[in-house]
Amino acid sequence: MHLPQDRMTSQERMAALFAGRRPDRVPLGAMSTGFNTRNAGHTVAEAYEDPEKSFADMQWTTEQYGWDPIPQYAGHTVLGAWDFGGQVRMPRGEYEGALVVTDYPVKTEADIERLRLPDPRTAGRIPLALRFARLQAEQGLPVYFFSRSPFTMAANIAGIDRFLRWTMKRPELCEQLLALSIDHIFNVLGLWVDTFGAERVFAWMSSPTESNQLVSPRIVKKFALPYHLAYHRRLADLGVRRFGFHICGEQNLNLPLLAEACPWSHPSVLSFGHEVDLETAAAHFPKDILFGNIEPAVIQTGTPEAVYALCRAAIEKGKNAPGGFILGPGCGLPVGAPPVNVYAMTRAVHDFGWYAA
Amino acid sequence: MDADRRAAFLKQLHDAVVDMDEEKTPRLCREALEAGIDAYTAIMQGLAAGMDTVGRLYEQKEYFVPELLLCSDAMYAGLEVLRPQVKVGEHEAAGKIIMGVVEGDIHDIGKTLVKTMFEAAGWEIFDLGKDVKLERFAQTLRETGADVVALSALMTTSMMAMPKAIAMLKAVDPKVIVLVGGAPLNAEIARQYGADGYAPDAIAAVETAGRLFTKAA
Repeated sequence: MHLPQDRMTSQERMAALFAGRRPDRVPLGAMSTGFNTRNAGHTVAEAYEDPEKSFADMQWTTEQYGWDPIPQYAGHTVLGAWDFGGQVRMPRGEYEGALVVTDYPVKTEADIERLRLPDPRTAGRIPLALRFARLQAEQGLPVYFFSRSPFTMAANIAGIDRFLRWTMKRPELCEQLLALSIDHIFNVLGLWVDTFGAERVFAWMSSPTESNQLVSPRIVKKFALPYHLAYHRRLADLGVRRFGFHICGEQNLNLPLLAEACPWSHPSVLSFGHEVDLETAAAHFPKDILFGNIEPAVIQTGTPEAVYALCRAAIEKGKNAPGGFILGPGCGLPVGAPPVNVYAMTRAVHDFGWYAA
Repeated sequence: MDADRRAAFLKQLHDAVVDMDEEKTPRLCREALEAGIDAYTAIMQGLAAGMDTVGRLYEQKEYFVPELLLCSDAMYAGLEVLRPQVKVGEHEAAGKIIMGVVEGDIHDIGKTLVKTMFEAAGWEIFDLGKDVKLERFAQTLRETGADVVALSALMTTSMMAMPKAIAMLKAVDPKVIVLVGGAPLNAEIARQYGADGYAPDAIAAVETAGRLFTKAA
């Protein structure tokens, strides 16, 4: 959707942002996989298992709410449990909004020995994600490649409670799973680069298991950070320049570690939850584009006025961040969010998001 | 046994839990019983006291979930030894609580930690697990007459089941205390949903339940 005062197209706006220039206004985006299909009268499961429907629903929803194409994907391209042979089922019923792991591929040390790197052409939902990516490429959109961080993927292979226990008691098992996870991510990413070219690929990552609601910065430093460094070395080797990182949940204690290491190229898009103050994020990451951080629970359960007020405050804090700012939810847009609350984000950008011409 | 020796035993039990020592804790429990320490005392002043310290370390951000899980493992290893030795009917539970992760949600790590802390605080627990159909909460309340029901959800989608679950529980027993918790929730949403209390973590859950239960009594 083109807002009446827009002086740039979405593509021009994003190009300005990545070139370090002020766009016409604050861009607006959302991680919205299941919301898109529900919005179009389809099921959440169809977002994951029907790439054509999922893509069309995403395009209509993007236009309806005036979103810019960042980030746009339909679920993870690679998954830990499913890709490595576990059992995953589609969301169903009234209260499920994402894929459900019903059986983890790793329960014992012996299971790790039996693990093999998945075939990137057949594993999990990678073939479906590839079909979705082709539609993005055909429309001239960035081709998003979405993975969890190696730490989060490794926990998803073994089950989170088992993996967290192993960080304390069997660190060598964690290292094995981490190595497999990063190799798998890059096997599939290599396929994406071969298919679409490195220039078209936008690598996106989320790291919910690194949240300080779960683990200490000590654990993050020991197990997660080395793999962030390796990830970015390998991403650079592949020639992929665009990177976005959803630093999911409460990660305030990890920010100094990430800011010191800061292994990604600049500017990258750093997405924050409501738990991280945007001014704090800007101070830690002045060369990167901040994205966020409207609390999803308020988008789902609050009034449009409450969402609008949160957006206004976020825009006022984020708008002048040195690396730039994109308004959006602080995590995935709840699939059942009331449409007026989602529209409140659009209206807030319209009312407060403009930069001087 | 003299008081000093008894205190030293209980301190060792406390320390074994805090040190996450799943092997040492049951061994010390057996030694405590052999030395004539009452099983219930060993639970409350050894294992549960250890979990109190663990809770404080969590609040101080010294311990995180991996540490809590291992302390919990140590406590349960000790409980396996001590519980069969507690004389039936001699000690009243602090209260009865039903807990579970609501329908549509399989994330149960938070609920597991909540269970541990209630266990340490001496509550009688009916743990329904994860992805629990809403009717099952109501049915279990009918069957047990529990004082408190604790509902957990990690997803914004699954937390939408909570208002319905709360209404069903209150229809069974208007006086039952319903607590909610999980990453997307906060006190305001808990209030909107009709819950009696909200707890941001396992430690706060026990405190909140205890406070509301005492007030209601």
